[in-house]
Amino acid sequence: LTMAQSMYLLWGSGSPPCWRLMITLEEKKLQGYQQKLLSFEKMEHKSKEVLEINPRGQLPTFKHGENIINESVGACLYLENQFKSQGNKLIPDSPAEQALMYQRMMEGLSFLEKMESFAFYDFFIPEGERLDSALKRNKDNLVTELKLWESYLENVAADRYLAGGFSLADVVVFPNVAFAFAYGLSPERYPKLAKYYNLLKDRPSIKATWPPKWFLIELKSECLKDI
Amino acid sequence: MAKDMTLLWGPGSPPCWRVMIALEEKGLQGYNSKQLSFEKGEHKGKDVLAINPRGQLPAFKHGNITLNESYGACIYLEEQFKGQGNKLTPENKAELALMYQRMFEGQSLFYDRFVPEGERHDSAKQRFAGQLKDEIKLWEGYMQATGPYLAGKSFSLADVIVFPVIAFLFRFGLNEEHFPKLAAYHNTVKDRPSVKNTWPPNWKDTPGMDALKNL
Repeated sequence: LTMAQSMYLLWGSGSPPCWRLMITLEEKKLQGYQQKLLSFEKMEHKSKEVLEINPRGQLPTFKHGENIINESVGACLYLENQFKSQGNKLIPDSPAEQALMYQRMMEGLSFLEKMESFAFYDFFIPEGERLDSALKRNKDNLVTELKLWESYLENVAADRYLAGGFSLADVVVFPNVAFAFAYGLSPERYPKLAKYYNLLKDRPSIKATWPPKWFLIELKSECLKDI
Repeated sequence: MAKDMTLLWGPGSPPCWRVMIALEEKGLQGYNSKQLSFEKGEHKGKDVLAINPRGQLPAFKHGNITLNESYGACIYLEEQFKGQGNKLTPENKAELALMYQRMFEGQSLFYDRFVPEGERHDSAKQRFAGQLKDEIKLWEGYMQATGPYLAGKSFSLADVIVFPVIAFLFRFGLNEEHFPKLAAYHNTVKDRPSVKNTWPPNWKDTPGMDALKNL
């Protein structure tokens, strides 16, 4: 078995955490891994097959031989650590860029959480508990967050991404940005994010793993339009 | 080296505590340490905002480098100071994988479940209490399967990240009899020098709370 063939990924379409892991596998030249696409709509993430590997019933669910790492950022760090010398380097060497990379990578988790708290408010919060004040607060927090990322990308250009060259910060954050535009974010209102998106959308690892479909897109394709 | 580092922190905050443990483990005592008060809103003060536009603690600088995300700071310190202090990443591949898994699972234990919010309905409160109990039971199960540390035989970044949350839970009254393996873990790690030296000052002479005693 090649290294990749001893890897098994269970994933769902449109999930940024799944996409992060798939981008990393491409970047590290680990194509050829075993994989299975599951449906969130059909609750397949709670199936026995997933629960046997991941008691949390979440995707991604990932095994490398007997090693299980379902946490997407943990898995990406593990892959970069274990396959340092193959594929593209995803953690910069220079201390300053490395620190910035870790900073933006972890902030990327907060970014997604704020986006989902607003865009999927009615999906996560049962009807009896929804509050206009909470929805408004989530919206305001998302706007603040997006403005922060616009500022982080002030000087974005080719090879001048979140921490210099393409890195794990971009592996985590690009899927968030793609998510945002898929759900209607205005490129005119967020020109730096739009530029970042356009610079990276055709990167081979990203193009090869683009989500076949975004979750609930039929209902939600404009939910970020007025942000 | 440590003299070029500055940490702004608040007592009892697991994210702050993580970075303090990491600094001790890597032999970086002597950093500029500034304790701030959440109650007085000092985390939103000018000092913090100058380093961290999010107005959150920890706020950490190393020379001109800024790293406010606690996970990021801990990983960076381990990477940059590989040759000194204690090694926080296991050599063994299986332990390393488990370290990454538990480290990031630690986010579920703290952020999703326990952070209180003023607007929770009773049904939400009940649901969250149920989820928190299930989450803690999961970790009890993890400690039954492996030990003495979270990734196995050696103290690692997983413990640096997660132990402060476990300590926080026991401080809030988690019952040692309901969760004996976590209690044993807590009792083992709390005497580790890096942990003892950075124990929240406001916890030392005051009793904890009992919010979690019935969980």
